[in-house]
Amino acid sequence: MIISPESLAILGGAIALAGGLTGSSIGVGWAGSPAVHTLTEDPGQLRNVIVLVSLPMTQTFYGLIVLILILTRVVPNIAAMPDPGGSGFAVFACGVIAACAEAFSAAYQGAICGSGISMLPKTKGAILTNAVMLAVFVELLGVLGLVFTIMALTMLGLF
Amino acid sequence: MTIGAESLAAVGGAVALAGGLGGAAIGMAIAGYKGVATLAEQPQYLRSVIILAAIPMSCGLYGLIVLIIILTVVVPKIAAMPDPGGSGFAVVACSVIAACAFAFSGISLGSVCGSGISSLIKTRGQILTNALVLAVFVELIAVLGVVFTILALTMLGLM
Amino acid sequence: MSQSKEELKAKMIADPSSLATLGGGIALAGGLLGSSWGIGLAASAGIATISQDHRQLKNVIILAAIPMSQTLYGLIILIITLRVVAPKIVAMPDPVGSGLAVVALGVMAAVAFATSAAYKGSVLASGIAFLPKTRGRILTNCLMLAVFVELIAVLGVVFTILALSMLGLM
Repeated sequence: MIISPESLAILGGAIALAGGLTGSSIGVGWAGSPAVHTLTEDPGQLRNVIVLVSLPMTQTFYGLIVLILILTRVVPNIAAMPDPGGSGFAVFACGVIAACAEAFSAAYQGAICGSGISMLPKTKGAILTNAVMLAVFVELLGVLGLVFTIMALTMLGLF
Repeated sequence: MTIGAESLAAVGGAVALAGGLGGAAIGMAIAGYKGVATLAEQPQYLRSVIILAAIPMSCGLYGLIVLIIILTVVVPKIAAMPDPGGSGFAVVACSVIAACAFAFSGISLGSVCGSGISSLIKTRGQILTNALVLAVFVELIAVLGVVFTILALTMLGLM
Repeated sequence: MSQSKEELKAKMIADPSSLATLGGGIALAGGLLGSSWGIGLAASAGIATISQDHRQLKNVIILAAIPMSQTLYGLIILIITLRVVAPKIVAMPDPVGSGLAVVALGVMAAVAFATSAAYKGSVLASGIAFLPKTRGRILTNCLMLAVFVELIAVLGVVFTILALSMLGLM
């Protein structure tokens, strides 16, 4: 089995995107289930429901950004190195940072949106602003995951 | 032990399909046991229950699509390369993206459709449309899984 | 001398036919695992139902026995691997790699069988729980919803055979 440093780096990028997709799926599921119950109580909340349910999807695109950056900038850098050594594994490690950040922030953002969605009928939609604000707190962690992964790759001289 | 790159690519296809079938099974069953409870009370919602319970099966089909793409497009390309290097492992990496996307979106589709099924009696079947709208949100993530896997394979020059 | 010992050892560990057998074994193991789990879920609910209404015994036995099918699917995959794939694999251009691919397909089949059997069990348990209340009328609808999940296991068998053919191993 030949595992070259470039393919280990690609695995790192893939895991980052996989984490984003996983977290988004779980988050949209945790928001979508209460959404069905909310719409049975008050079908007029459909627009607010759609806004809150789509919030966890952003982390997929953060993971995609990490994968594209690794494929277009890091992998050619590694290929141009005379002796890459453990660089491939280092990129894989950075991908794990991004994967954990995107997966957990998306999943738990979905939990927060789900709570907001269940309160929509009772507050007649007034909870929307506060729910979005609290969801953005968690979104920040997803953004930090992206930023710190790029920072780590730069500090390793691989970017 | 030398394992050829084409075989590693086939392993990747199997991983993607495993994620798809696992997620589809779990999702259809989560919706299914809620469907049994609903039909026990009021058997006239059979058609809506069948529609909602069948939706998570799509993730299994997406897994098959990725497997067929890998076996028919990627493997011949790798076989035609003079020195594939780490390409086989790179395909395994890309299918990790697909497997995570399909597995978790299948499970989430099951919980969203299950909530829709539980609400059929209370809304006299009106929830079907909104439940389908919310299920499409989760389905979108599985579709993104297929799209991004193909994107990654293309960026690696393996498609 | 030590070189040939190492080579022998490597050949023993990575023998292609045994790798293919491992793939079939994993598929059957997944089927057995899932079936036990699923029958366990369904039968536990069945005991509660029978104690409530012992006339439902026949329906309970029908529903609780359904998760056994995944074991048969796993056995089919094992027999196919032993009889058709293992002899063919030695003639492949990359035998060890093909063996690993068969292991991966076995894992795929095992995941399909295990998850579909276990979760089919939860659907059946739900149906069994409603047998007394509906006086056995839930049987048909419960069977129909359980067949949805069964379809995944059937797809697992079909896609494994499809993939083996596409790899030239069948």
